[in-house]
Amino acid sequence: MSAGGGGGAGGGAQKGGGSARPSGEAFWWALFSAGGVMAALFVPAFVIVTGFLLPAGDEMVAAERAAAFAQAAGWWPVKVALLGVITLSLFHCMHRIRHLLMDVGMRRYAGALKLPCYGGALALSGWAAWVLWGI
Amino acid sequence: MSENATITLELFRYHPETDSEPRYQSYEVPYDEDWVVLDAINWIKDHVDGTVTHRWSCRMGVCGSCGMMVNGEPKLTCAAFLKDYYPRPVRVDPLVNFPVERDLVVSMDGFMDKLEAVKPYIIRDDVNDTSQGEYRQTPAELARYKQFSMCINCMLCYAACPVVGHEEEFLGPAALALGHRYNKDSRDQGQSERLEVMLSSEAMWGCTFVGECTVVCPKHVDPAGAIQQAKAVGAQEFFKRFVMPKGAGS
Repeated sequence: MSAGGGGGAGGGAQKGGGSARPSGEAFWWALFSAGGVMAALFVPAFVIVTGFLLPAGDEMVAAERAAAFAQAAGWWPVKVALLGVITLSLFHCMHRIRHLLMDVGMRRYAGALKLPCYGGALALSGWAAWVLWGI
Repeated sequence: MSENATITLELFRYHPETDSEPRYQSYEVPYDEDWVVLDAINWIKDHVDGTVTHRWSCRMGVCGSCGMMVNGEPKLTCAAFLKDYYPRPVRVDPLVNFPVERDLVVSMDGFMDKLEAVKPYIIRDDVNDTSQGEYRQTPAELARYKQFSMCINCMLCYAACPVVGHEEEFLGPAALALGHRYNKDSRDQGQSERLEVMLSSEAMWGCTFVGECTVVCPKHVDPAGAIQQAKAVGAQEFFKRFVMPKGAGS
């Protein structure tokens, strides 16, 4: 069987009436993809910095370092960047959970699952924005 | 190892015209460490039971005909050595996720429809006659799709993919990788036609990146990688159409 030899077959077996309706899934996947970069690169970096490097060593020095870091978080470009990392990571996480649920047998609820999953990501992002606003 | 060593093969048997349900049949086969599972099945067919039905052709991992489940894993039986299973028995089933036609032979109809749906051939707006020469391509342009063109349509990836099993609309790893292969080909102008099919609801987005397709692929095509690249193209296309709803051409 040659993979490239179907030219004469006239491309018949198109499903869904051949309508040009691209799925909204592209949008959720784009958020998932961007969130994947955040979750893989930036979140571990934050964990290392805030969890290990900031509190390391002498307590007084560590406290000063933590205070300086907290002050930086009050600066609005940092807030925007943090919100971006948090929001995209949340959408990444909830998209993965939605597809996991589909894989374990809830495929027929693919549409209905969008509300709790992406709604949840949106709500948590809103909460993160509110907390950041208050710093 | 004794001269007369044997190994047990348990073959899935089902003849729809006489059997009400499938069953397994065991055969003792001479054990030879140079033999592959396909050699053993051929030996059974030639020497013990001519009614065993299976597909095979080249015996060297090129034709893609002899894909079966060997102890539950999708394998080319011409590349699955008995010595990797001996002395335990080897159970051979037809590829899962496909309707069984007879014994170890599955129906390929749905797979062929999906392959055809992604238009796996070069599409041109203009067609030059041969006097104008070939459509030339640099090695770098070739490298962009070459890996994805190595597919032999053995369907192991369809048997390995959990999404193929429960989402009929999903085009599946091989078809999507092949569609992507032509989209990446510098001579091709058919990407928008293919994306019409690939971007419709579950056709491509059904993929949850389990990655088993790439694990079982005997030709190292990496269909999972192809699908992720195609998703990135699809997402760009989605936003392009969102910004320019009418003029979204190529």
